[in-house]
Amino acid sequence: MYRSSSLRYESSHRDFSLRGESDEDYLDISLEDDRGWCKPSPGFEVSGSKRGFCHPFHEDRKKVLQERRDSTPNSVTFEWLRQAESASLYAGLKDHTISVSHSVRSWGREVVREKPFNVIHEFDSWRKSPDLAEAVAAIKALTAVIKRSEATTMMGLEVELKNASDTLKESDESSISLSAGCDLFMRYVTRTSAIEYEDIEAGKARLIERGEKFGEISQKARRTIAKLGKDFIADGITILTHGYSRVVLALLKLAASEGKDFNVICTEGRPDNTGAEMAKELVPAGIPVTLVLDSGVAYVMETVDMVLMGAEGVVESGGIISMLGTYQTALVAYSLKKPVYVAAESYKFARLFPLDQRDMSPAPRHVDFLVPLPQVVNVENSARDYTPPQYLTLIFSDLGVLTPSAVSDELIQLYL
Amino acid sequence: MIAAMPDYQAAVDDFVTRLRRRQVEGSLITAKLTAELLRQVVSHQRLPNVGQAAVLIDVVKSVGLRMIAANPIAIAAANRSALRAPSLHNLLESIPDPVKTPEAPAASVGDSDSKSRSGDRNSVSWKLKHNVIEGITELLQDLDDYHTHVAEQALEHIHQNEVILTLGRSRSLLKFLLEAKKKRSFQVVVAEGAPRYQGHTLAKELAEKGLQTTVITDSAVFAMISRVNMVIIGAHAVMANGGVLAPVGMHMVALAARRHAVPFVVLAGVHKLCPQYPHKPYTLLNDMKSPAEVVEFGELSECFAAGTGDHTTYVVNPTFDYIPPDLVSIFITDTGGHNPSYVYRLIAEYYSPEDYFLQ
Repeated sequence: MYRSSSLRYESSHRDFSLRGESDEDYLDISLEDDRGWCKPSPGFEVSGSKRGFCHPFHEDRKKVLQERRDSTPNSVTFEWLRQAESASLYAGLKDHTISVSHSVRSWGREVVREKPFNVIHEFDSWRKSPDLAEAVAAIKALTAVIKRSEATTMMGLEVELKNASDTLKESDESSISLSAGCDLFMRYVTRTSAIEYEDIEAGKARLIERGEKFGEISQKARRTIAKLGKDFIADGITILTHGYSRVVLALLKLAASEGKDFNVICTEGRPDNTGAEMAKELVPAGIPVTLVLDSGVAYVMETVDMVLMGAEGVVESGGIISMLGTYQTALVAYSLKKPVYVAAESYKFARLFPLDQRDMSPAPRHVDFLVPLPQVVNVENSARDYTPPQYLTLIFSDLGVLTPSAVSDELIQLYL
Repeated sequence: MIAAMPDYQAAVDDFVTRLRRRQVEGSLITAKLTAELLRQVVSHQRLPNVGQAAVLIDVVKSVGLRMIAANPIAIAAANRSALRAPSLHNLLESIPDPVKTPEAPAASVGDSDSKSRSGDRNSVSWKLKHNVIEGITELLQDLDDYHTHVAEQALEHIHQNEVILTLGRSRSLLKFLLEAKKKRSFQVVVAEGAPRYQGHTLAKELAEKGLQTTVITDSAVFAMISRVNMVIIGAHAVMANGGVLAPVGMHMVALAARRHAVPFVVLAGVHKLCPQYPHKPYTLLNDMKSPAEVVEFGELSECFAAGTGDHTTYVVNPTFDYIPPDLVSIFITDTGGHNPSYVYRLIAEYYSPEDYFLQ
């Protein structure tokens, strides 16, 4: 039963909507099941016996929710953390049926695979470590594919890798950093294989070495960004941040550890409560934190000196795709002439060019409105938005400080 | 880091002192003197057989750090261009090295570590130095010529019967206007540029050449701006985000121009590019000069409380103004006209990433 399974989750389970006891929850859950039943995400089957429980409103909502795919909420790392937890939770539970509306995937128990080795499993096991970013975990999973590969030619290896990469990408179509990471690694592989290696083993060894080096990059990138960005923090300023970003945290902590005296305003970040998470991290670092409602951004903006946010993906135009609310914050900051800085590692640079907010792969998620809603009410539940480059001042990345217009140049260098 | 050789140590010391005393002023002069000094340093530096590149770079960096410590603002731009190791780096990279390890394709994410600059080069010592010195000489020549290259583009931008506004005095602007005067007739409005009043000098120079000139006070800029077709100024330095360091008063002119949709053109030679991003531009990138230029020394003595000497009045005399990139319409460099958002590209062409922070 759904309720009991939710109780099985740790209290640290950050799925707030689950905790809510509204009808909405049951509504969505049973629908998830049904929906999952009739429309499995590609590459996966929802492992699950269909629940007996069927909500009376189910028929109507089904139509509305049908378009929304199995949610893989892709708000920034925070949600990711939860998924990593659920990944480890699922590992032991065989008969556990999904239920969780955002718990994304059943980690491949019934997945149809040609190979006994499952790249998704590998991916998951890497993701359990909370400090590892999605893209880096993907690259490590692909490296594991190389290690286990039995191909005897570089071309064969490439094909295997391509399949694995496609599988990974399909498992979570809305994650930009995942596909960017896969693309980057594939790009590297195809370029390297142009170099003649006498021996497939030598070639594989080189690729494996590179893949493993990538893991260090995650940590190193954050340190580099922190070093670059801390100069922009002066004494006595107020920084506004939105969403939970490990990079931004690293930057703020480094600046604080150097004795800089500043305070931070965090937006509440519904429905993931990113504000509270940020506050929990910032307080031990001795940084004064203020929490404000998402709707209070314009209200506080006049007291703010700069806005600092993380990103899920940096696109070709120099804009960013980030947690819902980033665009709003950037607009308000622009109109009040405050600088907006974005901290993003280089593997988040993606070959995308959204023209408007709808021009990205959808990333819906369950939002708990805390009150029961009539069934005809639509819910706009995207997890992220796109901020055009003209509202951004600078992007801090491990490639250096970039103006938004410089991003496409860097992308070309990365990908070509 | 190899200690600087005594031969040129004296010259370096002397230059650093002059920088600190602000006896060297003006980005062009600073750049030229720096380049010449570096040429001396490089030619006198004795290089070991291996690791020459690293040694040279270290020496140049150490000299550079001293100069920057002496006068960060002047050096922010002018010096860096002379210190720029892209001429060094590019030269070093073009030297064939049989021992070079095969490089992974240039994905900057991982490979910035394995950049070849620390690679040992088994080239002959004198050849390397010779190339570097040649590079610096070329740089010096570019510095001499840049006025001409910038002025060549004047006719594209200034049209018949236009009114141009400027503030203060800039040599590149003077040449620019005189070049345009050869084929077009136009007028110039010059704001005097307190407290140094260099606008007066510029007005005289222009009038001597037969250009119709009007001198106005700085406060009259907003009143005149609606009658003006274009604002052209010379920059002291251009930061990596496209922001401009210009003589004080320019930000006000830029704001007035934005308000009345008047194009704001900045003349900047490539040696004025600085790879740094301004964190706190209004204060950090500024040089406070003597308040005597603004208010005579005796005049405010009654404002200081007798006996305790407490200040109730401060006189601030900043040298520079920072103009954010969104107020600038176009940069005219010796390589052509560019958008402020394009500056990062120019920086990438002329500087290599290791040069961004000398420390």
